Amino acid sequence: MLSVLRGGRVIDPANGRDETADLCFADGRIVAGGGADVAYDITGCVVLAGGIDIHSHIAGNNVNTARLLLPELRGRDGFGPAPIAREIGRLYAAMGFTTVVEPAISPGLAVQAHLELAAIPYIDKAMLCVLGNEDYLLHLLAAGEGEAAVPDYAARMLAGSRAIGIKLINPGAAAAFKANVRRYGLDDEVPRYGTSSRRIIRALQRAVDALGIPHSVHLHCSNLGMPGNVETALATIAAAEGDRLHLAHLQFYAYGTEGPRGFSSAAPGLAEAINANRNVTADVGQVMFGQTVTISSDVLRQFNARGMAHPRKSAIMEGVGNGGGIVPYHYRRTNFFNVVQFAAGLELFLLIADPWRVFFTTDHPNGAPFTAYPDLLALLMDRDLRARWLADLPEAALAVTTLASITREYDWGEIATMTRAAPARLLGLPDRGHLAPGARADIAVYRPQADRAAMFRNAAMVFKDGVLIMRDGVAGAESAGRVLAVRPTYDAAIDRRLGSFFNETYGVPHTAFDVPAADRFETVPCRT
Amino acid sequence: MAEAALDQAIARAATLLGGSRCAVIACLGTDVAGAEAAIAMARRIGAVFDHAASAAALAELAVMREAGWVVTSPIEARARADVVLLVGAGLVAAWPEYAVGLGLAGPPPLVPEANRRVFRLCPGEEPVPAGIVETIAGYAEQLPVMLGLLRATLAGRPVARAVPGITALAEALRAARYGVAVWSAAAIEPLAIEMVCGLVDDLNGTTRFAGLPLPGADNVNGVTQAAAWCCGFPPRTSFGRGVPEHDPWRFDATRLVESGEADAVLWISALTAASPPWTRRLPTVALSAPGTAFATPPEVAITVGRPGHDHAGVLHAPRLGALAAHPAVAASDALPTVDRVIGGIMAALPC
Repeated sequence: MLSVLRGGRVIDPANGRDETADLCFADGRIVAGGGADVAYDITGCVVLAGGIDIHSHIAGNNVNTARLLLPELRGRDGFGPAPIAREIGRLYAAMGFTTVVEPAISPGLAVQAHLELAAIPYIDKAMLCVLGNEDYLLHLLAAGEGEAAVPDYAARMLAGSRAIGIKLINPGAAAAFKANVRRYGLDDEVPRYGTSSRRIIRALQRAVDALGIPHSVHLHCSNLGMPGNVETALATIAAAEGDRLHLAHLQFYAYGTEGPRGFSSAAPGLAEAINANRNVTADVGQVMFGQTVTISSDVLRQFNARGMAHPRKSAIMEGVGNGGGIVPYHYRRTNFFNVVQFAAGLELFLLIADPWRVFFTTDHPNGAPFTAYPDLLALLMDRDLRARWLADLPEAALAVTTLASITREYDWGEIATMTRAAPARLLGLPDRGHLAPGARADIAVYRPQADRAAMFRNAAMVFKDGVLIMRDGVAGAESAGRVLAVRPTYDAAIDRRLGSFFNETYGVPHTAFDVPAADRFETVPCRT
Repeated sequence: MAEAALDQAIARAATLLGGSRCAVIACLGTDVAGAEAAIAMARRIGAVFDHAASAAALAELAVMREAGWVVTSPIEARARADVVLLVGAGLVAAWPEYAVGLGLAGPPPLVPEANRRVFRLCPGEEPVPAGIVETIAGYAEQLPVMLGLLRATLAGRPVARAVPGITALAEALRAARYGVAVWSAAAIEPLAIEMVCGLVDDLNGTTRFAGLPLPGADNVNGVTQAAAWCCGFPPRTSFGRGVPEHDPWRFDATRLVESGEADAVLWISALTAASPPWTRRLPTVALSAPGTAFATPPEVAITVGRPGHDHAGVLHAPRLGALAAHPAVAASDALPTVDRVIGGIMAALPC
């Protein structure tokens, strides 16, 4: 069946298009024009490819523990900062997002994470597997086997956990914490192994390149949330030595020590460093005000943050590799630190010049639940709206930021790049994020209106694989969605070595954690 | 059961459950796919779902929810713990191979120079793993007091009574490099769990320590996880008013049946040949493992395959401390899976 969207403004920066045109699709793919069996008149509307979120905690044992820990945060709307699987799918689809990446699953917990992803309807999903703190990897690095064995190990973990890429979360810190280390930076060494965070990052960067994994190493740096941690972020960018690197939720590393409270936004300098280092990409991890829950596999940071919990409770879970911690938190408009965080995030969005290298996230739900996206998009596109928000925030906090002086507004092309074209390129998904013939017919249609947040909250129409799944926020037929994963090749000798390490150390076979094959998986090709 | 007979049974089950006003989905001893199907069914017909082992699981969850905790996994404990504190009785019942699984007889493989020291606190009559344990005798009901004494001793506060060995135990815990406290919620009271979590917190002030809760019976951990991602709540949740509501007292399956509030039961026991514990007669649909004997025959009885035996399924694996795929050890298509039967019932429900 051939469908056509007639009279919309098609914005497709990957193909250099911004024009009023008809858009045709059939059998789940965009096709060149022609007659149509079904026509939709969308005159006056904006047509984008389906949105792609590269970093949103939507599944896994940590997210699920947050649900069990915080039933009181469900709220009257039935979902809180950690919505249940079916609501995640519905809410993302309503906003016009059609692909979402869960960014932090330990390989040993991948079976559960994939069951949760499978339970999220409408959208396609993928996950990153967390490496960097496993004793086996640290053994390899300590033994000087970084070059040879680490790529095989990384490939084996990606294959077993059916992930699309590799996440490093404060690499080395969780292992050091098990040895009672309480502060851990880029060049601190893990006791027993003598391996630093810097060495772990470099080894995995080389592994990703050797394996041809499309997505660069997706890094959560050390010293998250601490005053003055911009120095860590800058040192980490330098440590990449020109190799490609993705920095997650950059806002949480954009802090200086200026001002009366010794806490200030260092976002301008950090944005400058991103602008100057074309090998580096970053997503922002914007803070928005309200109650949320922080969900992180940076177990050291979460352990140290327990005192800030609101409500006052937390769950810290250690395990092989990273573990994780759940600490509820309330960002307040009246809190100096929270306002600086809010401003620093917007400064990064507005001061990083290239929308191909800055990604739209709130690190859901760590900076804010993804349901805050419509408000955030509106703030980026409208400096008058920003000015109205700033007028209600404490001046003392804004004084240690430059936000009030920034006049940039995102245009539609930049929004489409940041939320569609760039994520598809970053993840290696050539048939997503754009609208040329051959692309998946994942399409979001927005009806421009004075209230941009309302426009983004409920797209006028959303198509997934050419099927109309949402219309003005009302769901159509429920579909299951696929799960995207890479399948890099590796030397099978690593299985033998891992098998004997797991047997001796953990008393279980390493294959016990493998995710079984299923029809929902789609392979993302590696570069050759 | 032949296909035609199965279809007939499914049709009768749909009539019975579809006509109920307050159905209870009980036992719920099944794999994750079975649990997801059962919860979808509860949502569809406005039923309650509960699990046979939820009393202890929910009491433990309440400790986490109210006080928080620091825990680890069994394989990490095996690999790293140089001090292990076994708290209370019931460890064998929770995980028969726990001593082997946790490698208690040998040094921790990641810290091979450490001499792993294993302590038991108030084990009651439970047999002691040979030769590797120092025990402070006592019964489970003494645990909160004993843990209080231990925490006071650790904090250097005066204590009301001298218990032989408690000072030495406190010193050993404090000297641990990475200690682990193990318990089974099925065997100790919530106050004791909270005290253990408090003890772990105290010890984390100066060294590293973590709790290790052993899992409950009949895949309650797997079912609880599935319930959380399907509806946000653990078992003992009702869809009776359209949206899920959780209440450990109100939605206790046994209470609902005994009080007469429930008018139909969907009994699911695919893992063991368990039958309903109550005496009251209610219209019942039973999906049960081969060989289940019922005091009174259910209105509809469908024998289902055992996950991990007759068919593959995902279950909580005590040894891994995680959900894991369990391949069929004796694969057979002769018996349907719980999720397939429930899918059939849902498809046959009156609109």
